[in-house]
Amino acid sequence: MAAKGKVKKTFLSGLGADNPIFAQVLGICSTLAVTNVLKNTVVMVMGLIFVTSLSNFTISLLRNYIPSRIRMMVETLIIAAYVIIVDIVLKAYVPDISRQLGPYVGLIITNCIIMGRAEAFALSNPVGLSVADGLSAGMGYGYVLIIIAFFRELLGSGSIWGLRVLGSWWTNWFIMVMAPGAFFMLAIFIWVVRGLITEREKEEVKS
Amino acid sequence: MKFKSKQTERMYTVLFMAIVTVVFIAVTSGIYLYTRDKIITNKTLFIKKAVLFAANIDVGDSAKDIEETYKKSIKEIRDADGKLKYMEVYAGGNGKLTGYAVIVTGPGLWGEIEAVLGFDRDLKKMTGIDFIKQNETPGLGARISEKWFREQFRDRMGPFKLVPEGTAKGGNEIDAITGASITSNAVLDIVNRTISNVREIVK
Repeated sequence: MAAKGKVKKTFLSGLGADNPIFAQVLGICSTLAVTNVLKNTVVMVMGLIFVTSLSNFTISLLRNYIPSRIRMMVETLIIAAYVIIVDIVLKAYVPDISRQLGPYVGLIITNCIIMGRAEAFALSNPVGLSVADGLSAGMGYGYVLIIIAFFRELLGSGSIWGLRVLGSWWTNWFIMVMAPGAFFMLAIFIWVVRGLITEREKEEVKS
Repeated sequence: MKFKSKQTERMYTVLFMAIVTVVFIAVTSGIYLYTRDKIITNKTLFIKKAVLFAANIDVGDSAKDIEETYKKSIKEIRDADGKLKYMEVYAGGNGKLTGYAVIVTGPGLWGEIEAVLGFDRDLKKMTGIDFIKQNETPGLGARISEKWFREQFRDRMGPFKLVPEGTAKGGNEIDAITGASITSNAVLDIVNRTISNVREIVK
């Protein structure tokens, strides 16, 4: 089935070749902000996956009716509505995490990945494909953040998910908890991944 | 879409935006109204739990537990306008006044820090501290919410001074949080300021 193949291809591209973090380098602000504690990161990632997939869904559904002149206003409105929903739900059902995330949840609105996917994909593709694209962009963002957060929390606080795993012999690297630590981790991550991808591309060209 | 004239296109654009706005506001308002009570309950529960912690009264995590203990042992004293002035603590369960709790605010690194401070009946010792609101850096300044940091203020009296994390030897020494000097200092300022003027608040 051609359609199914397309969905799969769209879905995989966000995780790999078109990954929002290491290929497009989008959404870096939140990557720097939330990745020092794994728990906050996971909540942020779930919020983002929810918002990208649903905003892509809604915008794709309305794509033939949105006047192109005001499309950005409509997109922002739709995205903002979903972000507010995430914020309210967190406040009501997981108040502790909501308190820790503070203003970060509201800032999902400004995450360029969501607007980027809406503009570049949802406006010109059918609903199913757009949802796949939104999910994939969100998850592509998500797993990179979780990997970065894992190392930042481990090296910066000696703990994982708030539980101390490294003994008292471990001296916390405080730079890992602060924003510069995220720059280093992100840069190393991009370097490793891009290194691997280009290596493979070179080999493919040779053979 | 094709339109007969520029006029209809404009009308359509305005109408479309208006409808989309109304629909989405309706949906978010609906969800807000549905969860509003729960959010308010969460907030007051959190404050009540903080007050109890500052007053050094043990309490479980369940909402019922917190509500009951709070009702039994805390009396809110308000001024003529209904604004909270301070709280009286009746910890023993025998109706005898055992201390006071005050809610104070001060500047933190990223925003306001709001804290509850508990004192004994003679205002000679603190019974504890807890934070109601703080937007400090997660992993650094936000560690003021960790139990070990808050426990440090129990049964002691300031003015306090900060020493590097892990080196406090009692007395008026408080372990600062490494990598979060501004937050540690902000908390210390709030505590020391409150200690110096608590007699004026609790009158």
